[in-house]
Amino acid sequence: MTAVRQPSEERLLAYAAGTLSPPESVVVATHLAMRPETARWVENLQAVGGEVLETIPPAAVADDLLARTLASLSEAEPVVPPEPANDMTDLPAPLRGYALGPWRWIGPDMRVRDVLAPRDGDCRVILLSIGPGRTTPVHTHQGVELTCVISGAYETDEGRFGPGDFEEADGEVHHRPRTVSAEPCLCVVALDGQIRLDGWIGRLLQPFVRL
Amino acid sequence: MHGMVSDIGLARAGAVSGDVDHDRLIQAVARDRDREAFAALFDHFAPRLKAYLMRSGAPPAAADDFAQDAMLTVWRKAELFDPARARAATWIFTIARNRRIDALRRDSRPLPVPEISLSASDPERPDDLLEARQDEGRVRAALRDLKPDQIEVIQMAFFQDLTHAEVAQSLALPLGTVKSRIRNAMIKLRELLDQPVGDPS
Repeated sequence: MTAVRQPSEERLLAYAAGTLSPPESVVVATHLAMRPETARWVENLQAVGGEVLETIPPAAVADDLLARTLASLSEAEPVVPPEPANDMTDLPAPLRGYALGPWRWIGPDMRVRDVLAPRDGDCRVILLSIGPGRTTPVHTHQGVELTCVISGAYETDEGRFGPGDFEEADGEVHHRPRTVSAEPCLCVVALDGQIRLDGWIGRLLQPFVRL
Repeated sequence: MHGMVSDIGLARAGAVSGDVDHDRLIQAVARDRDREAFAALFDHFAPRLKAYLMRSGAPPAAADDFAQDAMLTVWRKAELFDPARARAATWIFTIARNRRIDALRRDSRPLPVPEISLSASDPERPDDLLEARQDEGRVRAALRDLKPDQIEVIQMAFFQDLTHAEVAQSLALPLGTVKSRIRNAMIKLRELLDQPVGDPS
C-alpha cells in the first residue's frame, strides 16, 4: 500500500459518501480512473456505505408512495452512456463528460482552460498545461488545491509527480511546481479560494492572470 | 444523535437476511420488468432511503420524494446491476449517493457531478469477480470489528453532510478527537479490508 500521492483516507471516505465538493470530486474521480487499486479501495468504502444503508433504522414512507411509484414506472428505456462533452480524447473518462472553456495564456508555455464542472463557492476545476522545464509562478493558496497529473510530470520540494499522482497543497505551501517531463505536464486542478502570486513579478501579473 | 450506536446492534442482527433475494429481485426487474419484484425492493429499501436523506436534515416529504426518485432510478438502471461486483444494498447506496448529489446541486448548478459506479471499466478476470464478491462479507465483518465510537463517525460521514467540525459539535467532542477517531476507523478498515488475496502483508 502506498500512502503518498493519493488522496487522504478522509477524502476518499468523503468521496465514497458523496459529501466531497463537486470540483474536488472531479479531481479524485480522475485519480481513481488512473489508479485501479485505489478505485478498488473506494469500492470497499462504497460497500461500507451499502452496509450502513442496509442497517439504518427505516423511516416509514407515505402510505401511497408505493402506488404512486408503481404508477409512474415507464417502459424500459435503453441506458445510454453519456456522450463525451469535449474533444480531448486522451482525457481520463471522468473528464470527458464536461465541456471545456477555451485555452488561455497565463505565461510562456503555460495555458489553462476551465473544466465546466459545477463550482462550489470559490472552488472550481481547471486543466493546466505547463511546458517542459517551465515553472509556474510561485504562489500561495488561500484554500486547498488538489491536483492530479494526467500526462507528463512535475517536481516540487515534495518530489516528482507523474501520471495519476495526486497532490494536496494547502495555504501553508509556497507552491512552485516545475515540469520535468519532455512533454508538457497536463494536470486537472481543483482550486479553492484565490491564488496569490508571490514576488514582485507575481504582483505585476496578478491583475492579468486569472487562474 | 442518540441511538446511533445502538442502531448498529439492530443492524448487525438484520443485515444478513435477504441479501441474495435482493440481488435476484433487481435481476428480475432487469430481465422481466417484474413489478412485483420491484415492489418488494421498494418495501425494503424505500424506508431506508428515506431515513438516509432525513439524516442529512431533509424534511419527511422531501425524503419521500427522494426515496421515490432513487427507486425509479433502480427501475431504470436495473440492467446495469452486476451481482458479481456488488450486492444490492451497495448498488442502491451508490444510486442514492449520486441522486443526492444531483438533488443538492440541481437548483444552482445544473451540470453533472461525476457519478461513481460499480461497473468499473478495468478488465475483469474471474478471480477479480470472486474477490469483489468476497469483499461484501468482509465489509460486514469489518464493521463488526470497529469500536462503537468508530462506527458512529463512519455512519456520520456517510449519512450527514457534515464537516468534521460539525461532527465534533454534534457529538460535543473536540475537533481533534473526531479527526483522530475517523483516522483510526479508516486505519482499522484498511487493516481489515485492504488485504489483497494471496498477499499476507
